[in-house]
Amino acid sequence: MNVLRTSVHLLPATRLPRHAIQRAYATTARPFVPPAQLRDLDNPGPRRGDRQGGDREPRQRVKPPPESPSFYTSRPVYYDQIIQLEKAIGQVRGSLKTLQLLPLPAFARASLPPLHPVWKTQDEMTLDFETKMTTTRYRKVTKLLSQLNEYNRIARTAGCTELADGIDSIVSMFESGKKDAFLARGKRKVVILDEFGRSYTVGRRKTSSARVWMIPVRQEKKESPKAVAVEEELNMEELFGVERAAEPETVKMEQVKVTTSTILVNNLPLNEYFSVPADRERATRPFKVAGVLGAYNVFAIVRGGGTTGQSDALLQGIAKGLVAHEPELTTMFRRAKLTRRDPRMVERKKTGLAKARKRYTWVKR
Amino acid sequence: MSLQPAIRPWLAASARCSSSIIRSNVSPTLTRYQSTDTSKRLETVQDWQQFQSTRQDVSDLIHMMTPFGSTQNDKTTFHLRDSLRRPPAEATISSLLAAGAHFGHASTRMNPNFVPYAYGTRAGITIIDLDHTLPLLRRAAQVVRAVARAGGQILFIGTRPDIRPVVQRASERLGSQGYHVGDRWLPGTLTNQRQFFGDETVDSTKTVPDLVVLLNPLQNIIAIRECALEHVPTIGIIDSNVDPRIVMYPIPANDESTRAAELIGGVLSIAGREGVALREAQLMKASRREQSRRPGPR
Repeated sequence: MNVLRTSVHLLPATRLPRHAIQRAYATTARPFVPPAQLRDLDNPGPRRGDRQGGDREPRQRVKPPPESPSFYTSRPVYYDQIIQLEKAIGQVRGSLKTLQLLPLPAFARASLPPLHPVWKTQDEMTLDFETKMTTTRYRKVTKLLSQLNEYNRIARTAGCTELADGIDSIVSMFESGKKDAFLARGKRKVVILDEFGRSYTVGRRKTSSARVWMIPVRQEKKESPKAVAVEEELNMEELFGVERAAEPETVKMEQVKVTTSTILVNNLPLNEYFSVPADRERATRPFKVAGVLGAYNVFAIVRGGGTTGQSDALLQGIAKGLVAHEPELTTMFRRAKLTRRDPRMVERKKTGLAKARKRYTWVKR
Repeated sequence: MSLQPAIRPWLAASARCSSSIIRSNVSPTLTRYQSTDTSKRLETVQDWQQFQSTRQDVSDLIHMMTPFGSTQNDKTTFHLRDSLRRPPAEATISSLLAAGAHFGHASTRMNPNFVPYAYGTRAGITIIDLDHTLPLLRRAAQVVRAVARAGGQILFIGTRPDIRPVVQRASERLGSQGYHVGDRWLPGTLTNQRQFFGDETVDSTKTVPDLVVLLNPLQNIIAIRECALEHVPTIGIIDSNVDPRIVMYPIPANDESTRAAELIGGVLSIAGREGVALREAQLMKASRREQSRRPGPR
């Protein structure tokens, strides 16, 4: 203002009107300060309608930050898991180095038994990681897991159980639930005995199938048969007053108890169901080969086919059941081809032929 | 052979030392100090324990003899991994030079706005003036420290596979205030949040960072644009083919060098760590003051 007033006399003779020089603009008279600038955000003061209370925390305007450091990748679970796996690998590697198990020379690596992992499928991992598991991501994860599995193999073989258990706890989170089934594929299913000691097996031949339940015959606890008193021979020497010479050795006749077992086929005894003796022989062949005739009770349900097929199916079922009860018979039965499912089936009839192989009479012209 | 020593005496010396003669002098049964027997296998757990203890004996012997030998050890020698695992707290011109931070791109590709930060050209590439880089790096470190001290969230973006560990470790140094993006930045992370994170996350959490550090800004132009739209300050390593004005605090340096990224990322994250520590100290002091002001319990 002073500047304006003092400069007035310096202006040329034509004087401007007073209101033009000393016009008070709002912005010059009183500078504008936005109301928001005057607000104190940290101490907002009492709100309208508030009761006079004690110490109150200033109203939180700030929302809490995200927890995961990978939040801005939009796939926090996946990236966090990758980081955790990489850290675990680093720690395990350090531990194995301390235990002098890394780096492992070639001969030691060759002595490691195999440890085949079975990881979850891509779809299962998609649910775990809350993000679509593309092939690249899946391969990345399984590569890290396989590395951990290798370290697990080393630790377990060397007897470092704590380290191996620690690795197991990580790796088991990513293992498929169907691991046992997958690893056992192609192998014969192990038959387990139920709570009563019965085995359940299935035998097949041609179009027949035999479901066989077997249980060992219960042996009653009997005291060993006393040596059957041999009738004292008429001692001729005694009769004639001569001292008995050397007594003859008493021959102990041990009575072998022959156990009888029951074989029921479709609720009928074996001999009733298979009227042809050859079929009966065939069905009980496993007992004879193993030498346990009469030691097992058998209950079988046989369906399909004819007598030969059914008796062969029963044979296979009994053989498998015997192997379940006595695993030492596996090799013997395999060599005798008793547990083998005979793949021969009735061959189909072909067009242009009378039967499967029989050709019509060849005519020259 | 016998004539030669007379004509060329130096050959006699070398002939005496030749390996063939040495080998012929040694007896046929050679003593080997390391078994190359591959037929030996470790069958039982006891075999493995024996194997471990033999190795441990050797290791113990070395450890016992170490004080009598050289004073150089793992901690005192240089390793390439140190630039990632133990970066310096402050950069120097020489460390920037050693990391190759002064190499720019081809001078034909030089951005005209980069000229103030260029030292010159040589061998067809622009050389970046480290006398400008260093103070700008320190300024950026101050910004990171101040934001961390104020409790802000700092996001490190490095989307190449070689600088992914840099941003991961940098975010770890800042604890709960550090975040990282090591793979592709998904467009819309800041501008399309409800689609990406869901309504309840956006309503309950603070989903916009307070500072973004870009180690390869040219590949993350989308991220820079989103930060500008959401008013997030940015720090970035600017190479000679990039306009420095795209980020708020440019650091003119080589963006293709892993070591330069490790150095710069390390310096910034250590500054952030200091800021976090200062904040914690401040909060502790404030809470202690509160406790002393208030009456005690009961």
